[in-house]
Amino acid sequence: MSTTSTPTRKRSKWDEDDEDDEAFRLRQQILAKRRTKSKSVKPNDATPTRRIETSEPPAVRLPTRPRHSLYVPPRTYHPTITPSRSVYCYERLNQIEEGSYGVVFRAKDKQTGDIVALKKLKLDEEKHGFPITALREINALMSCRHDNVVGIREVVVGDTLTQVFVVMDFIEHDLKSLLTVMPSPFLQSEIKTLMLQLLSAVAHCHSNWILHRDLKTSNLLMNNRGTIKVADFGLARRYGDPVGVGGMTQLVVTLWYRAPEILLGATTYSTAVDMWSVGCIFAELLLKEPLFQAKGEIELLSMIFKLLGPPNTTSWSDYSSLPLAKTLALPSPQPHQFRQRFHYMTTAGIDLLMSLLTYDPGKRITAEEALQHDYFTESPYPKHPDLFGSFPSAAAGEKRRKPFDSPSAPARAADYKLMTEFDAP
Amino acid sequence: MSAALVPLASLSQIERTPSGEDGLPADLEDDLKAFGCKLIHQAGILLKQKQVAVATAQILFHRFWFVTSMKQFGIGDVGMGALYLASKLEECPLRMRDLINVYDLLLQRATHTLALHSSPNANPDFKYAPMSYFGTTFYDLKDALVVAEMQILKRLGFNVHVVLPYGTLVNYLRVLGLTSREDACTRAWGYLNDALQTPVYALYAIPTIVSAAILLTTRHLHISLPSTPPNCWWDLFDAAWEDVWCVCGYIMRLYRDRDMVERVRVVGMVGKKEVRRWLEENVAEQ
Repeated sequence: MSTTSTPTRKRSKWDEDDEDDEAFRLRQQILAKRRTKSKSVKPNDATPTRRIETSEPPAVRLPTRPRHSLYVPPRTYHPTITPSRSVYCYERLNQIEEGSYGVVFRAKDKQTGDIVALKKLKLDEEKHGFPITALREINALMSCRHDNVVGIREVVVGDTLTQVFVVMDFIEHDLKSLLTVMPSPFLQSEIKTLMLQLLSAVAHCHSNWILHRDLKTSNLLMNNRGTIKVADFGLARRYGDPVGVGGMTQLVVTLWYRAPEILLGATTYSTAVDMWSVGCIFAELLLKEPLFQAKGEIELLSMIFKLLGPPNTTSWSDYSSLPLAKTLALPSPQPHQFRQRFHYMTTAGIDLLMSLLTYDPGKRITAEEALQHDYFTESPYPKHPDLFGSFPSAAAGEKRRKPFDSPSAPARAADYKLMTEFDAP
Repeated sequence: MSAALVPLASLSQIERTPSGEDGLPADLEDDLKAFGCKLIHQAGILLKQKQVAVATAQILFHRFWFVTSMKQFGIGDVGMGALYLASKLEECPLRMRDLINVYDLLLQRATHTLALHSSPNANPDFKYAPMSYFGTTFYDLKDALVVAEMQILKRLGFNVHVVLPYGTLVNYLRVLGLTSREDACTRAWGYLNDALQTPVYALYAIPTIVSAAILLTTRHLHISLPSTPPNCWWDLFDAAWEDVWCVCGYIMRLYRDRDMVERVRVVGMVGKKEVRRWLEENVAEQ
């Protein structure tokens, strides 16, 4: 099952490995040939051209194993130490959005003509040198290259040291605005494709020791070829084993997507916080609106308690040890309401949603496990990304075509009728 | 897979380093790099900073000199910037003032060593004179620190991905069945740390460097491993003999006997001004 659209298929993780493998083998063949060539040429260099053809031993045994293991690529595969280019390599087109972190522009690479997104970092009032959050974002993007993670091309600088721009692939839409302008929600088959892409991106980040910590629909970009890309790693950070040495902040994840353990003040949290957000996104795709639209943390908790049923010792054994658990009065026990909220879901679909929206972070499904969930192998099957519809891109300044008005009645019909009536004898 | 690939210097960057192009002899450049790394190391110890941050700083420091001349930036400032940056990268950020105080101490001590050498009847006891809280020393060093951090980022193209060798060493020692020899483990670990004073981490991939540390260890401790082609233990780790041997050379060069003049020479060249003066005095003569 392919979850990536055709134009980008080449960049799938596994394909690349195969290619590497083949490159090694090819190199090996060339090397082997060269070796035999040089050997054969030595004794008689009078007719070198003929020699190559004839002297090739019939059974050149090529080594079946590549010379290098995949974990140790050849020296030449390493990038060189390259200073940042100037921002003047790009031509500014239009502003896409402005946030607390800085401004995003659409721009064109003057050399290649590629359209890119330029994110200008705000560095003016920095007391602690280059901001650690920007550093985390750049590092996370550079170390998490994946089909479903927005690609970072480079980081360019302006004239002064306070002008730094992150150059990323330009992606036409974000999922949030797409969900609001779409006339009808995504189909089940489409949701499956989107979820598979999201889960594989999250699994990739987690396997590279990166927590995203701000997964939400507005941070999921989508191109016109049915591929979504996780973006905005502004809150991302590396995690270790054991998790969160030195403590981690609770000021992460946009409220609606925030996991209950963060809400209850846990100082060590891990990959499970991202999985909760994935659950919220999954529900949002199904409902076409955010699952928990709470105004504050208390309201959010009560919404969670209502949907999942209040936590108890079996559903969340560590609940009582959380810092803020004592300050909350739990509502009376009540069963979960997933079935009532999601009428048309299959049992497997509800099961996946409940595995993602699970209280106990230790029991919450991981991205790798979720990718293997039955939901994705039952009918309707995930739709191929190429079959997704396309939409006008607000970020590229494209306008939505006006919906067709049904043709109105001939303008002067009434008059005409009137006239005929009048004319009638 | 590209995630695992750290940037390494290209052939032309190695053959013609920016400092070398400015007339700095290669051995002096190596000495200055080593001294800059020692300063980073000492600062790391005084600040009780994690070794991962210190090692990362030293690797970034070495990469920097493949794209920048020591005529433009001093090893002191860049070392300070590298340690500050690496501490953020390793999620154990330092306070600017702490770092600046420690570097101030180290630089004062260097000046003292220098004075002691030039006039033998100077007071042999070093006494640290703390800077004033709002003094210009602090603000000068702070500016230098901010600029150095930004310059490192900019000149390395913001690719500050570093892979440290320690995990790989543990794996390799296990594969070779050397984990029971505590002396071998300690020694190999030590070679890896000492190698941080040489540019090898900006020149070779980690498996090569780790293999070199193991090679030096086994030779020194007379541990025999399969080493006759086609059965060479370093082939297991995809390291080429020439490269391993070259890294060994870099490391062993650190331990050669140095006379006092050579040792003191680098102490007096922590800043770019001193490097410039040295270049004017020595390159002009030729």
